[in-house]
Amino acid sequence: MDGVGSDVILSIKDVSKSFPGVRALDNVSVDVHRGTVHGLVGENGAGKSTLMKILSGVYERDAGTVIFDGQRVERTTPHQSMQSGLAIIYQELNLVNKMSVGENIFLGRFREMKGMRGTHAKAREILDSIGCNIPTTRLVADLSVSEKQMVEIAKALSFKSKLIIMDEPSSSLTGEELVELAKIIQQLKSQGISIIYISHKLAEVFEFCDVISVMRDGRIVDTRPTADFTRNDLISMMVGRTIENEYPPRPQCVGAPLLEVKHLNTRKLQDISFTLHYGEILGLVGLVGAGRTEIVRALFGADKVRGHEVWIDGRKVKIRKPMDAKEAGLGFIPEDRKLQGLVLPFSVESNITMAAFRKFSWFGLIRKSLEKGIAARQVAALNVKTPSTRVPVRNLSGGNQQKCIVGRWLELSPRILIMDEPTRGIDVGAKYEIYMLMKEIAERGGAIILISSELPEVLSMSNRVLTIFEGRITGELIPERSSADEIMSSALGMARVTA
Amino acid sequence: MTNAEMNMGLGAPAPKVIAISPDAPRRGKLVVAFLKEYLVLIMIALLVGITAAVEPKFLNPANLINIERQLGPLMMVSLGMTFVIIGGFIDLSVAGTINLVAVVTISLIQPLGQGTALLLGLGLGIVCGALNAVLILSSGAVTQAEALFLTFGMSTVYSALALLYSHGSTMHFWDMTASKALFETIGSGKLGPFSVSFVIFLVCLALLWFFQEKTVEGRFIRLTGGNKTAARLAGVSIARSIVTIYVLCGFMTAVGAIVLFSRITTAAPTIGLGFETNAILSVVVGGTTLLGGKGSVLRTVMGVLLVTLMSNCLDLINVSTYLQVAVKGAILVLAIWLDNRKQA
Amino acid sequence: MNLKASGASLLKVATRQKAFIAIVIMLVGMLFSHSGFYTAYNLLDMLNSTSILLILAFGVTLTIVSGGCDLSIGGTLVVSGIVAVKLLNVMPMWPAIIIAVAIGAVVGFVNGFLAVHQKTEPFIITLGTGLLLVGIAQQLTDAHPIPATNPDFMMIGNGDFHGVPNLVIIMAVCFVASYVLMRFTAFGRNLYAIGGDYEVARYSGINVIRTKWLAFVISGAAAGLAGVLLSSKLNTGSAVYGETTALVVNCGVVVGGTSFAGGIGGIPQSALGLLVFGLLDNSMNMLGITSYYQVLLKGGAIVAIIWLDCFNQKRKREAV
Repeated sequence: MDGVGSDVILSIKDVSKSFPGVRALDNVSVDVHRGTVHGLVGENGAGKSTLMKILSGVYERDAGTVIFDGQRVERTTPHQSMQSGLAIIYQELNLVNKMSVGENIFLGRFREMKGMRGTHAKAREILDSIGCNIPTTRLVADLSVSEKQMVEIAKALSFKSKLIIMDEPSSSLTGEELVELAKIIQQLKSQGISIIYISHKLAEVFEFCDVISVMRDGRIVDTRPTADFTRNDLISMMVGRTIENEYPPRPQCVGAPLLEVKHLNTRKLQDISFTLHYGEILGLVGLVGAGRTEIVRALFGADKVRGHEVWIDGRKVKIRKPMDAKEAGLGFIPEDRKLQGLVLPFSVESNITMAAFRKFSWFGLIRKSLEKGIAARQVAALNVKTPSTRVPVRNLSGGNQQKCIVGRWLELSPRILIMDEPTRGIDVGAKYEIYMLMKEIAERGGAIILISSELPEVLSMSNRVLTIFEGRITGELIPERSSADEIMSSALGMARVTA
Repeated sequence: MTNAEMNMGLGAPAPKVIAISPDAPRRGKLVVAFLKEYLVLIMIALLVGITAAVEPKFLNPANLINIERQLGPLMMVSLGMTFVIIGGFIDLSVAGTINLVAVVTISLIQPLGQGTALLLGLGLGIVCGALNAVLILSSGAVTQAEALFLTFGMSTVYSALALLYSHGSTMHFWDMTASKALFETIGSGKLGPFSVSFVIFLVCLALLWFFQEKTVEGRFIRLTGGNKTAARLAGVSIARSIVTIYVLCGFMTAVGAIVLFSRITTAAPTIGLGFETNAILSVVVGGTTLLGGKGSVLRTVMGVLLVTLMSNCLDLINVSTYLQVAVKGAILVLAIWLDNRKQA
Repeated sequence: MNLKASGASLLKVATRQKAFIAIVIMLVGMLFSHSGFYTAYNLLDMLNSTSILLILAFGVTLTIVSGGCDLSIGGTLVVSGIVAVKLLNVMPMWPAIIIAVAIGAVVGFVNGFLAVHQKTEPFIITLGTGLLLVGIAQQLTDAHPIPATNPDFMMIGNGDFHGVPNLVIIMAVCFVASYVLMRFTAFGRNLYAIGGDYEVARYSGINVIRTKWLAFVISGAAAGLAGVLLSSKLNTGSAVYGETTALVVNCGVVVGGTSFAGGIGGIPQSALGLLVFGLLDNSMNMLGITSYYQVLLKGGAIVAIIWLDCFNQKRKREAV
């Protein structure tokens, strides 16, 4: 499957891309043939989205070559790449909600289409060609997700795309809509258009794709015709890796029940109920967008919810806002430390102490010496590398920034610590330090709810794992007793498993 | 974050690993940094120097006293405004509040006595501030722009109320038979070598500085302005900060209004004209960024000083009031633009 | 352009607006008021006095739809008007008018530079430029209105053409021009795209900076034109309306259904929104409400409108 024949529409050779501390793509090579549907599977963080962004021009690759339709692809922009025939349909659809379908399809090309008339006429033509009968004047905001996808496909077609990359196209479709999508894919294929189909829904990948590539840790593990794969093969390849002492031994101090959440419902979540024990590390495993962060944010009072119950230590607790959660003994390390966790221009000291005012104030007055003490203590305890506690926290590396947030909450000795992607974008050394910290917390009787997109991390650190899929809990497993494959299957919504 | 931003991964992978340089920045950079930090102070010095040279009347004791007197009201209002801006919001209703507090307070001297009138006037300022806060909180306004429009609108309402209450007429001290000694002292009394209003200013400054630096509430306001989301997730009550900043601003505005009409012994329902722009200008020029989180009342003091000195100097060289308004507008635009570039 | 289809869609737009309902309520209310409201004279007069505000609104709508706003229109309004009047003393009428409008465009250019290119917050930076302009205007007139010296000039604002006031005609022309611009040109559609989702628009190859900048230029030019017309109507150049106009016009646009969030609304909506204010003014006059109460009611209405807009945004954000 090598060589750049006229039958290969996209040839990727030895493409690599690194970010500070992270090697996102490592010598990735794959060929996509014309008129095929090429599946791409891999867990969160495997490198699929980085690869897409390099193809569309959002990122620049560090090394390797990309040849599309016979032309080498050098510095390009998303718009240029669309024009050259490579279209990407993102999971979070790239449409202007407040405008009509027709205008969205030809966004920025109003003049070429000779105005409103031309735009809507041509849009109608394209939509009809894929069997879609949405009126072109309807606002995108009023469409269902599947209809929005049709609009995106129409948009791609309007650029006479030769290759369409679909990122999780079916994550929000009903059974019927899926059938429609299947028909369209077949139609596109028969028109000679190639498709890269990125999805976690292995059933569809098997059904639609001619060839499948599996990615893991920034590499392509294997590329084979679909017929040569079994589902188990795929899953194993997605998760299998050698775990080389990356993680400390799992803490084993699970005690009595500490926290009970009952019937948590939001727009996205459906009837979430679970228990958390003293000394337990509970992992939430699921795909991006499954609802893990929504669950913890709802628990912490950061978002509005409908009528749920939270019981701590056998007593019912009302958590309406983060302050209530704090009082109840919860702590929260958010997903995006720069936007949600830190006040970047403020000092390391301020950032560390900002949740702990009770401990260094006296009748509403700040006692500077106590504040300094707290900051110094946490910096020392967590080994935060900083010249002083007075420098702006934005000067610190990602790992050290994260430690500041951890220190902020540890100072309060929370009974329950929620950690959402705690080691994202952090170097290996700092990661290990955070794992050790988690172990210590658990050993002292604290409980941790851990969200991580790195499956090995969650599996190695958690005593118990809940799999979340499309807003529901689909499984409760013990990593010590279940295989990574089983857990992944559950997270992909394929089986309801209780260990 | 918009969908496109999510797709393009603008929330995405690792942050830059910036090496923490333990070595001091080069000498040249130090000088530039120093200049930037103390730009306002330097400008004040320059302005004073040049004007004193060009127009010797500037250093006349009468003129200096005049300047000192003029500082009072604007200082009060600007100090209050500082907290609103540090908190990441803005308050354009101060002009209307001044109008209302002035006419109401002065009108109550005769029927209720000066002490009560004073207290009620201050109370009214608090009420106006609280009303602003309620409107902002209840509408779910989270951005500075939304707060700007709401408070701008409230300024119209308060001004209209002032007009209605006073029937458009101006009240004078000499129309009243009741004792106005309290207000007269505030306006023109002296305490040793200083005027009473200056002493009031010092006291307020001390208290506000203390509040800003040494209290938990002051720190909460800074955090709210620095990063609302992070502050909220750390357990800071954004709502409480909003109420605090607007009530404080309302109160200080009332203080400013009282000092103002006490000084000129009359209260017209348009007495507050232009205060909101002068106050914001003073705060921004002083170095407190409109983006919130950073700044200090001390900086605002310098800002007010500069703005007032500038008015005085321009007056002395016979520049018309209107051109001064234009100059202020130009400086405001310049200051905001530069501030924007600095923070980016 | 299918006239019937355009007409039908215009009507659909009109009926969906709350402004429409507000107007209907007021119109019905005035039926019972036994005032001189429902005379041809009054209705035409009302339209006449709102024309200038409408022209301002059309310009501002462009900036608001694209996600910004322009609070300097009051300042531009008075400066252009004053410059026009002053230039009448030294040059023929038309060049004077053109220069005055051009000044508005220059102001818009500067606003665009600061707000779009330099990415400063538009609401505060245009507030600053507006202030600067009001100061200049006051300086130019020494706060006394300057009489215009050219009789033809006065006729522009006060004359009529077969019974329809010139101002209304000019306003109608502006209405049609801006409506066509917003609805039928790439520029207008791109403004909606930028306001709807800045990044999506950018990634679609739209030159977001140039487009948004141009919106400010047009807003400034419209304010310039409005200023000239106001001076013509009053036959003086005056700085009086500099400070309050911006707020009223921006709010009128929001009332009509163009949210500060951007991406929705349009010219007919803005027209309706401003008419609410025009109607409010006129009704209050007719009902003999004294001017102080008028200011109060108007201020209260403005606060209520903005409050509703914010609340609406909050509702959308927090949908559970």
